[in-house]
Amino acid sequence: MPDPSGLTDDDLKAALLELGVKAGPIVASTRALYEKKLRKLLQSNGHGCLNGVEKDELYSDSEEEEEENGEEEDKELGSEGEKEEAVKQSDQAKQGSSQVELCFQNGGFVYPQCFLLSSRLHARASRNSEPSSKWNSGNAIESSEQRRPPCSQIPVGISRASSVDQHSGLGSGFPSGSQSVMPDGESSISSQAFSITHMVEEMESRRPLSTSSDTERELNVSNVQKHWSRSNRLDMPIVDTMKNQSLYYTPKASPYKWKMKLTQEPVKDTFKDMFPNTDATTTGIYATRRRPIKGAAGRPVQYAYPDTPVSPTTLEKREVERRLVPIQIQILVFLIVTCLLYLIYVCVEDNSFGPSFALLDSLYQGSDSEEGLLLQAETQDVPALSGQE
Amino acid sequence: MSTTSQKHRDFVGEPMGDKAVTALSGIGEILGKKLEQQGFDKAYVVLGQFLLLKKDTEMFTDWLKDASGANSRQAGTCAQCLKEWCDAFL
Repeated sequence: MPDPSGLTDDDLKAALLELGVKAGPIVASTRALYEKKLRKLLQSNGHGCLNGVEKDELYSDSEEEEEENGEEEDKELGSEGEKEEAVKQSDQAKQGSSQVELCFQNGGFVYPQCFLLSSRLHARASRNSEPSSKWNSGNAIESSEQRRPPCSQIPVGISRASSVDQHSGLGSGFPSGSQSVMPDGESSISSQAFSITHMVEEMESRRPLSTSSDTERELNVSNVQKHWSRSNRLDMPIVDTMKNQSLYYTPKASPYKWKMKLTQEPVKDTFKDMFPNTDATTTGIYATRRRPIKGAAGRPVQYAYPDTPVSPTTLEKREVERRLVPIQIQILVFLIVTCLLYLIYVCVEDNSFGPSFALLDSLYQGSDSEEGLLLQAETQDVPALSGQE
Repeated sequence: MSTTSQKHRDFVGEPMGDKAVTALSGIGEILGKKLEQQGFDKAYVVLGQFLLLKKDTEMFTDWLKDASGANSRQAGTCAQCLKEWCDAFL
């Protein structure tokens, strides 16, 4: 076969066509390519179809041929040889595609590495449970959580994070057990240069593990990172309250208690004044040590609270009473009215009807004031009464 | 989710017009400069080469490797990008 580079464009094209390659326009830019292709085909034909590399080349040709056969309907050369070659090459192409599929499958086998890691984490989890049980002797919950067999990386990360949460959360409840953990946690939290990897390394260094790969750490870090951020936020108030008071572990209790004390302290004194015999616990106030309010100690009471805790109903009653007529005046009026009625009764009973009618007429005349009539009635009644007696 | 890059999607999503050769997926600055030195200064010129090779991705890949020194991945990406563009707009 002639040297491809020595051929003319048309000859090159023809040669390629003989080998089953339908070449495009052989231009300056494409000539080199087609020459190379021709050489490869000549080599492959000369050596036979044994090498895999050559097979690949053939596959590429076959693919090309398949495409060309599919694309073009008008085939000038419909020779049987070509068809046979096309069939052979199509079969080889199928094999090639199957090989490609295998390659993809092999590529897919990269993933099982994560299962290996998870199996390693299995062992780590089992090893973790032992030292943790040593630390928290009475903490059955924690050990059970870690003994739970996690099947993938993520649950392990969660269990570790939750175990750490328990460490911090129950640390106040079990100060003896978790003191070993908390100082490290506090120091790491308090230090500005806080890093998750540092914490993980600390925790790992404490555990008697000989094999601890960086990838595992990174995986755990990546899994635990989110949980740590959340747990850190939770840990902060817990740590602060722990520093002040060792008894209470819920962060919400302490500010609420401070508020309680602020509102109730002035009332406390008045309560004692009014009810010296009552205990302090009736109102729920506990006399535990608290942070003293700046400036309040020693100063006299500048403003007075109401003496008695006034309920709204009593206030209303007071207002109503203010508007009503005072009771003294009411009694006076009542007495006057009773006297008047009594006099009239006596007058009516004792006197005959004549003078009573006269009295009534005089009353009805109404020229005099009532007091004057009353006086007249009294004066008339008095002699009447005196006359009778 | 396909494995195409954002660059690929950007190129295939619209007519290439007068885009530079570096707009092709797989063609970065270095490869772009090499292509420009050979005269392929615009994406449509590379498209022309692709069409000359009868839209054969294998041949185009080989050509691109020879012309710009691209590796198999880059050349394959570029070929795929041009093929899809042709399917969409040609």
